[in-house]
Amino acid sequence: MLFFLLRRTGTLLLTALCLTFIVFFLTNMEARLETLAKTQGSVRMTDAEVQGWIVRNGYDRPLVMRYGEWLGVVPGWTREEADGPLRGRCIDRVSDPADAATFCGLLQGYWGYSTRFNAPVGDVIATRLAATGMLMLWVMIVMVPSALLVGVLAGMREGSRTDRGLSTAAIVTTATPEYVSGVVFVAFFASSTVGLSPFLVNWGVIDGPVLFLGNARSAIDQITFWNFTLPVITIALYGMGYIARMTRASMTEVMTQQYIRTARLKGASFAAIVLKHALRNALIAPFTVIMLQFPWLLNGVVIVEVLFSYPGFGWTLVEAAGNNDIELLLACAVVAVIVVLTTQLISDIGYVWLNPRIRIS
Amino acid sequence: MKLQTIPHDRIHPAARMYAGEVAAGKLSRREFLTRATALGVSATAAYGLLGLTAPAAKAQTGTRGGTLRMQMDIRAQKDPRTWDWSELANVCRGWLEYLVEYQRDGSLVPRLLESWEVNEDATEYTLTIRQGVTWNNGEAFTAADVAHNFERWCDGTVEGNSMAGRMAALTDPETNQIRPDAIEVVDDHTLRLNLSQPDIALIVNTADYPAAVVHPSFPGGNPVDNPIGTGPYLPVRHETGIGARIERNEDHDWWGGEDGAYLDAVEFVDLGTDPSAWLSAAESGEIDILYETVGDFIDLFDAIGMVRTEAVTAATICVRYNQNNPPYDNANVRRALTMAVDNAVVLELGYNDLGEVAENHHVCPIHPEYAELPPLEPDPEGALAMLEAEGLADQEFELISIDDSWQAATCDAVAAQLRDAGINISRTILPGATYWNDWANYPFSSTNWAMRPLGVQVLSLAYRSGEAWNETAFANEEFDSTLTQAMSIADADERRDLMRRLQEILQEEGVMIQPYWRSLFRHARPNVQNAEMHPTFEVHYLRYWLEQ
Repeated sequence: MLFFLLRRTGTLLLTALCLTFIVFFLTNMEARLETLAKTQGSVRMTDAEVQGWIVRNGYDRPLVMRYGEWLGVVPGWTREEADGPLRGRCIDRVSDPADAATFCGLLQGYWGYSTRFNAPVGDVIATRLAATGMLMLWVMIVMVPSALLVGVLAGMREGSRTDRGLSTAAIVTTATPEYVSGVVFVAFFASSTVGLSPFLVNWGVIDGPVLFLGNARSAIDQITFWNFTLPVITIALYGMGYIARMTRASMTEVMTQQYIRTARLKGASFAAIVLKHALRNALIAPFTVIMLQFPWLLNGVVIVEVLFSYPGFGWTLVEAAGNNDIELLLACAVVAVIVVLTTQLISDIGYVWLNPRIRIS
Repeated sequence: MKLQTIPHDRIHPAARMYAGEVAAGKLSRREFLTRATALGVSATAAYGLLGLTAPAAKAQTGTRGGTLRMQMDIRAQKDPRTWDWSELANVCRGWLEYLVEYQRDGSLVPRLLESWEVNEDATEYTLTIRQGVTWNNGEAFTAADVAHNFERWCDGTVEGNSMAGRMAALTDPETNQIRPDAIEVVDDHTLRLNLSQPDIALIVNTADYPAAVVHPSFPGGNPVDNPIGTGPYLPVRHETGIGARIERNEDHDWWGGEDGAYLDAVEFVDLGTDPSAWLSAAESGEIDILYETVGDFIDLFDAIGMVRTEAVTAATICVRYNQNNPPYDNANVRRALTMAVDNAVVLELGYNDLGEVAENHHVCPIHPEYAELPPLEPDPEGALAMLEAEGLADQEFELISIDDSWQAATCDAVAAQLRDAGINISRTILPGATYWNDWANYPFSSTNWAMRPLGVQVLSLAYRSGEAWNETAFANEEFDSTLTQAMSIADADERRDLMRRLQEILQEEGVMIQPYWRSLFRHARPNVQNAEMHPTFEVHYLRYWLEQ
């Protein structure tokens, strides 16, 4: 078990290293650095000024060296200005140059500085991840129980009318991408001129102009039922259909097992059979699927957070990519690798725990 | 209005002459106001010269209190003189004020200045600094502070300092710094500027958004970090890409007194660049006012019951050729392509007819020195014939534009007309992040230009040889010398004669297709007062108020 964990951690580190180097390489191509210089300096800088900016801010040295600086294995760059103070990667972040460390990178716990948000990357990522965490939490709270319920109900009696109905619904929701369902929901629930809201206002059911808010920005300060419903539903419905299908497949398989027939012959009630005998075995497959759904949810939050202007992790990723914010993008890559590989690890361990027949290592 | 203190006997002679022209019907009232106030005549006095009374400032009826929520991009802050987006300035207007301010009606109103005087040939300016202004750290605001700001603006060694170009007449071209003899502090409240060449636009330039007046202790960088300024507000929160909150500074005795600073707080919300997100936020009551409404969304915001305001401007889009790139180094090619396009059609298809048709020379009828030229006749057959004569009938042209609704639509309309004329043209659309990388060097592309109050200003920024923003690579000796001459002439008719020649050169050389002048629009809830759209996108939230 210990060896298994060590090996997994090794894979995680290696993947993170490779991925960040690729991101580093792509974001440090010359044209991208010019974009960065222009967004930081001024959009209408001349070419000479752009080159000057690149040199003065330490972007002119070899790629591998700078990657090493970011990791914290190569000393940070320093530079003496003609008439000004000493500048450098590690110096700019402290008030007195004498206090500056030689190394300042990931190994020293310094994630770099976000050029887009004018703040340390660590702070930006922490607040945004917390915001996405809230979104994910509510998505999970809505998605997992409803998906399992739908899956179990559909799988209890294969081929019944309930099964056909629920399965069709599940396929429809999972076949509708977030960027379609999100827009449809906004039009239907959050417009004062079309959809449901004008009727509700007419009938005096709601006070405000719209039922749900089509914009989740205010959820940063305070999450309410009205501002968080649409983004949560948009992500949850998409994942729900998939998990429900998996649960149904697993459930129908379990329901045909010998021991279920035995239980039925023994005279156990249908409810007892489903709850006591079938459920635990039927949940093994969905558990893995739910865990593997996390990386997919990261995908979904990018679209949904941008659509509803909710500044979380996905929104930050789009902003960082759009503005060539190198160190923020690298941090996003690290976080993504950690989330994907950790959830996989949890799913493997959980699988063993749920199914004693499987051994790891 | 109590801002005005200039005695009538010091009125610049040219201003009296302009007043005569208004009476003779040669000059519109708006043009007169811009020109007269640029010469140091107060708005009240300028209206007086026309025999009118200045409109009473609506702001005086403002109700105090409330928080205004405005949708606007919140970009990463930087040194004010390097600001490249009006939004950067708008956030800071509550504590960083300006020497003078450009009004919606085209006039200039002194703010931190009390008045200014210009000599006959516009080479010497005497600025009188407003009495009783203090910084919010308690220090008095003096002429030395203003001199310090002029020094900052003139420093051409700072990357991206766009004020340096506007202050060329005060700068030493050798050192790229202010000339030691360019500025004299006469006393605590008087400052004299000695220009190396005549420049009628100097004061107008200090109303431009990068000309925010900062405290001498300002080290450069982010002005939100240590917000010392003269204004009545202070930033409480500023998060790039998210929003900002500005609250009234109750500890500061602002010189404007009761005349402004009505709102308790202003909350800027950055909802990204997609107008449909703004619409959702407006519908659900999350925002009270928009920064700007564009395109199809103008009607949509009307439909949800918000009030539309419009500003007629000289803001425009130039579909221009870069003359460093063949085949656009050939004037016949440029002329032929320009000739094939009917600007009225471009306005209709590209901008929903929300503006005025322009004449390919980047001088607007609202500019004081605009000269009327014969109307343009589109001639698609002639255009193709001209290209054939140059042996370029089969040449494939490529028109590049940014991935932005109206800019892309305008270029599509231009390309469609070229295609109709039988010219082989392809379209390329680039995302904003990569587009601005190389905006000045694309062979054939479009650029949007904000308005400047005087016609000569934009010509000198964009079409003089070797200028940083000269995206057309246009270099014409006659144009340069005529422009230099025009920039020293305060006299209207005389300058208009030169202007006519400048406009003709731009048309003759086929420098660009400049299809229309944009009107700008903004929507606000009915209870938001005094917050009409401003022609240069300025958000004077100091004077906005909410009807309770």
